[in-house]
Amino acid sequence: MTGRILLASYVALMLAILAFPIGLVVIASFQGGLEASFGNGQWSLDAYRAIPRQYWLSLRFTVETAFLSTAFALVVAVAAAWGLVRGRLRERRLVSALVLVPDAVPSVTLGIGLLVLFIPLGLANSFAGTVAALAVLGLSMGLRFAEALMEAIPEELEQAAVTMGASRLTAFLTVTLPLMAPGLAIAALFIFVHNLVTFELLLFISGPHAMPISVRLFSDIVDRGVLPQAIAMSAILVYVAIAFYTLIVMTLGVRRLAASPLSRKG
Amino acid sequence: MGDRPKTGGERRSRRERLLHRAFVVPALLLVAFAAILPLGLLVVRSLLDQQTGAPTLGYYAQSLASAFFLRTLATTVLMALGVTAACVLLALPMAYVLARRTVLRMVVVPIVSIPRMLPFVVVGYAIVLLLAPYTGVANKVLVGAGILSEPAFILFDWPGQALAFGYSGLVVAIAVLTGVLMAVDPQLEDAAVSLGAGRLAAVLTVTVPLGIPGIVAASALIFSTIVTAYSIPVMLNSRTPYMVSVLIYNNLYSLQERHLAYAQAVIVTVLSIGVTASAQLFLGRFGRRG
Repeated sequence: MTGRILLASYVALMLAILAFPIGLVVIASFQGGLEASFGNGQWSLDAYRAIPRQYWLSLRFTVETAFLSTAFALVVAVAAAWGLVRGRLRERRLVSALVLVPDAVPSVTLGIGLLVLFIPLGLANSFAGTVAALAVLGLSMGLRFAEALMEAIPEELEQAAVTMGASRLTAFLTVTLPLMAPGLAIAALFIFVHNLVTFELLLFISGPHAMPISVRLFSDIVDRGVLPQAIAMSAILVYVAIAFYTLIVMTLGVRRLAASPLSRKG
Repeated sequence: MGDRPKTGGERRSRRERLLHRAFVVPALLLVAFAAILPLGLLVVRSLLDQQTGAPTLGYYAQSLASAFFLRTLATTVLMALGVTAACVLLALPMAYVLARRTVLRMVVVPIVSIPRMLPFVVVGYAIVLLLAPYTGVANKVLVGAGILSEPAFILFDWPGQALAFGYSGLVVAIAVLTGVLMAVDPQLEDAAVSLGAGRLAAVLTVTVPLGIPGIVAASALIFSTIVTAYSIPVMLNSRTPYMVSVLIYNNLYSLQERHLAYAQAVIVTVLSIGVTASAQLFLGRFGRRG
């Protein structure tokens, strides 16, 4: 009996710990944004009204780059998976290992490396540079998904379509791709969410023309301390996360999500 | 294609292979451009003198001979080790409960998953809201209840950073370990119980040992994340404790010792990958024996 009570209080404590950032940020955002208090706080939307235009621009930049890089990474990953799996290429293990390099190397190191490369190319502090950095990270996640999905689909289906006169491309687009689509949608969601929260990789190549929302909030707290509008924007990011969570649960189910490989580097 | 007759197909299968290879090229180009090339450049620059461009090992020697750098590195590794161990220990029971109780999982998974979809900066803001000396919730509650006579100034010190890292580690540990323990067959544990072991003893002697590969993998992930973390140390003061990524950043920007910073980034990367690789090596041994 005491064991059960102990276990229950432990679970409750862990849940409180896990939920505290979400709770505090949301509560503070409705109380003027500088501190959170329970019960006697003044409730208002002032912090939200104070959100400056740059924050919205940063949010838009983040969403746009995340979306483009996800699409780019997935197209490249599906093509590579087709070549590697269907071609039974000898160099498959080497390619898979190479693609995993951006995931294995710490984000800070890759970020500094990208800075070294991008400055002479004029890609630092640019939209294209940000997309390229996110895409290479998305590719290492996307290729793993795409290879597994492609392997699960019998090659005979494609061959049957070709025997009946379809071109290779038509066979792939009308037979294989639709069968992979549900899995690819899940991969896309994971990569997109991951791209939304990426920070250390983008910190070094960010600048006035390429300022993701995570870097914007970071430099504001470093330069000016906690601002009400930053808390309000953090709360908006919480709402975005909740929306994506709902979307992922609807497509994937809770069971898979509990053990998903969605890692975070912070 | 294996099932095609060889006669007359020689030329065609060559073309096939070329076609398949061609589809892999975009992925290789992307990785080469945005990962291999930048990392290569980083390593090469770290081996060149910043003024003269002559090849030198000086930046590595300078770093490894510098008591300040080594002390910073030791601080970072100590912090990462402590937080990783605490996270895994705290997360294991939770992961076990989540892996076995389906009903609870429905309620808890959103609370575990949503923090993983937040930029870490948001968690940093939440830590400030929780622990700030006068405005933070924890201090207000504790001082109000008379437990503390004056606010605790732990936010901008070791405890504040450890708690922030601990939070991120806990979220990762619970998620990864839940998956690991879900993969362990509950029937093994039930068998031990039916043979007379208590439930706790069965979990500790059957389920947890079977989950060790996953536990090691999760620890390596959390450790390497903390060793190279940059946002939390800087958001919370950045001087005590002084973490190695902050030192690298300061060399890069404030001190303009760029090539020294590159060399130090390489050292930290080797350390971080070394930990992950030795974890995998350990797993390989462990797997073969089991």
